[in-house]
Amino acid sequence: MIEDDDGHARLIERNIRRAGISNTIHHFTDGTSALDFIFNGADGPVLNGPAMVLLDLNLPDMSGTDILTRIKSVDKLKRTPVVVLTTTDDKVEIQRCYDLGCNVYITKPVNYEAFADAIRQLGLFLAVIQVPEVVE
Amino acid sequence: MVALYRLGAGSSALSTQDIRRLLTAALLLGATILVVVSLSAAWLVARDQEYTGWVNHTYTVERHISRFSVLFERAEAARRGYLLTHDDLYRVGYRGSATALPKELEALQALTGDNPRELAAITELEPLLSSKLNTLQASMREAQSQSMAAPTDAATLEQDQPLVSQIRELLARMVAEENRLLQIRTERQTANAELLLAAVLTAGALLALLSIGAVILVRRYAADLDGSQNELRRVNEGLEQAVADRTADLTRANDEIQRFAYIVSHDLRSPLVNVMGFTSELELSLKPLQALLTEVEEKAPAIALKAAREAVQSDFPESINFIRSSTRKMDRLINAILKLSREGRRTLTPEQLDMGALFSGIVDSLQHTAVERGAEIVIEGPLPPISSDRLAVEQVFSNLIENALKYAKPGRPGRIVVRGRAIPTGVVFEIEDNGRGIAPADHERIFELFRRSGAQDQPGEGIGLAHVRALIYRLGGSITLDSELDRGSTFRISLPRTLLRDRDSTA
Repeated sequence: MIEDDDGHARLIERNIRRAGISNTIHHFTDGTSALDFIFNGADGPVLNGPAMVLLDLNLPDMSGTDILTRIKSVDKLKRTPVVVLTTTDDKVEIQRCYDLGCNVYITKPVNYEAFADAIRQLGLFLAVIQVPEVVE
Repeated sequence: MVALYRLGAGSSALSTQDIRRLLTAALLLGATILVVVSLSAAWLVARDQEYTGWVNHTYTVERHISRFSVLFERAEAARRGYLLTHDDLYRVGYRGSATALPKELEALQALTGDNPRELAAITELEPLLSSKLNTLQASMREAQSQSMAAPTDAATLEQDQPLVSQIRELLARMVAEENRLLQIRTERQTANAELLLAAVLTAGALLALLSIGAVILVRRYAADLDGSQNELRRVNEGLEQAVADRTADLTRANDEIQRFAYIVSHDLRSPLVNVMGFTSELELSLKPLQALLTEVEEKAPAIALKAAREAVQSDFPESINFIRSSTRKMDRLINAILKLSREGRRTLTPEQLDMGALFSGIVDSLQHTAVERGAEIVIEGPLPPISSDRLAVEQVFSNLIENALKYAKPGRPGRIVVRGRAIPTGVVFEIEDNGRGIAPADHERIFELFRRSGAQDQPGEGIGLAHVRALIYRLGGSITLDSELDRGSTFRISLPRTLLRDRDSTA
C-alpha cells in the first residue's frame, strides 16, 4: 500500500481487515521507499512472489502514475494487479491510469460509509481475485 | 497610444499640414508666375510689334525723303539739261519730276503727321519747294520762248542756288531727324526684346526653382509619410503584441486560479476523508463501550458513574453528530468549489440554440416542483435564438428559474415569467418572479460565493448565483437584478448573439 496519508492508510487497512483479508500489508508513505521495497525488498514482490499494489496518486516525491509505469514496465511485475485508490476523479487522469495498465481505479468517497463500503467490497473482491504466479 | 501621439509631432520639423500648405502655396505661386509671365510676354510682344511698326514707319519716311530728294535733284538736273541743250527729253523728265514732287511732299506730310519737327521742316519746305518750282518753271518757260537760242549762262543757272541748298539742308535735317528717331526706336525695340528675354528667363528660373522646391517638399513629404507608416505599423504590431500578451497574462491568471481552486479543493478532501472516517470509527468504537456500560449498569450499578454514562450516552453521540454535520457541510462546499472550477475549465462549444425549446425543456423538468409549490411558469412570446454553449445556458436558466420557485413569497401563488428580446449588442432574457424579493443591500452580495440573502429557510450553500454569474461571464454576457423586498425579482441576462469559440482549449 502506497499512501502518503497515514489516516487514509489506517482506514483502508481497518476496512480491508474487516473484509477478512489477513495478508501482510506493507505501508509506504512515499514513492521512493515503495519502489525500493518493490524492486529490492527481501520479501518484496520482485524477489518474493505474488503481491498486489494499492496505489495513491498524490505522493510527496513522485506521481503515482510514475510508480504505475515503473511497475508495469517490468516483466516480473506487469501482471501484478494494481488498484489505484485516490481522491482524483479527473476523467483524463483515470483514462491515463487504465492506459498505463492499472487494473482497478477507485475514487475515495468523502462520505465515510461509502468509503468503508468501497474498501470492504474491494477486500471481498481481493478475496476472490486470482493473482498470477510470478514468472521465475 | 502615447507613441502614436508622439509620432505626429516629433518625427520631423515640418508637420504634414505645413508641407501641404507649402505645396499649395508653391503651386499657387507657380500659377501666378505663369499668368504674369504670359501677360507680360504678350504685352512685350505687342510692344515689340508696335516698335517694329514704328521702325518700319521710319524707314518708309526715310524712303520717301530720299525719293523726294532724288526727284528734286532730277528736276534740277533736267532743268539744267534743258536749259543747256533745249532737248525736249529733259523737259519731259523735268515735268515728271516736278509734278511728282508736291505729291511726294504731301505723302511725307501725311506720314510724319505725328512728328512736329518733321512737320515744321515740311512746312518750311513747302513754300521753298513751290517757289523753287515756280523759279524752275519760269526759267523753263523763258528758255522755251528764247527757243533754240544760246544756252543759258551759268549765272542764270546758279541764280537760285541758295534756295536749292536750303532745300537740300532741310532734307538733310529731315533725314537726320528720321535717323535719330530710327536710332531711338531701334534702341527701344532692342531694349524691349531684352526685357522680353529677361522676363522669360526669370520666369523660367523661378518656375524651375519652384519645381525643385516642390519636388524636394513632395519627396520629403513622401519620406515622412513612409516613416509615419512604418512607425504606425511598428506601433500597431507592438499594440497587437501588447494585447496578446495581456490576454495571455489574463488567461494564465485565470487558469492559475482555476487550478488553484481545483488543487485546494482536492487537497482539502484528503483530511476531510480522515475526519469523517475516524469519526465513524469513533462511533463504531462507541458501540462496544455502550454495550459495556449497559452490562455494568445491569450487573453492578454501583460502579456505573454518572459522568461515564453521560459521556457515553449523550456527549459522545452529540459531539460525533456535530463533527459529522460540519464535515458534511465542508464536503458540500468543497464539492461546490470543485464544480465551479471544473465548469470554468470546461471547453465551451457554441451551437445554435432554439431558446423557446430550451426554456420549455427547463420548465418541463421543473414542472413537478412548480406544481408542488403551486407556482406557474409562463414563457412570453417568441424568444430570440442564440448561438452558445447549450449546457452552460441550460444551467444558467434552470438555476434562475429554480431560485424563483424556491424563494416564492409564502402565501402568494408563484408566477414566473420568462421573456426575451434582441438588442443591438445581442439578446436579453428576463426571468421575473413575484417572490419574496431581495433587499437592495444584497443585490451584489447574492452573486458572491457562499453568500445568501433573506431568511435562511431553504436548503442551499450560496453557490447557485455565483455559478450562474461565472457561467454568464464565460459566455461573454452579464447579469443584472431588479428587485424589491416582498415584491419580487427580475434577473436580466444579456448574452452575445454568437459565442466565439474558446481560443484556448486548455481546460
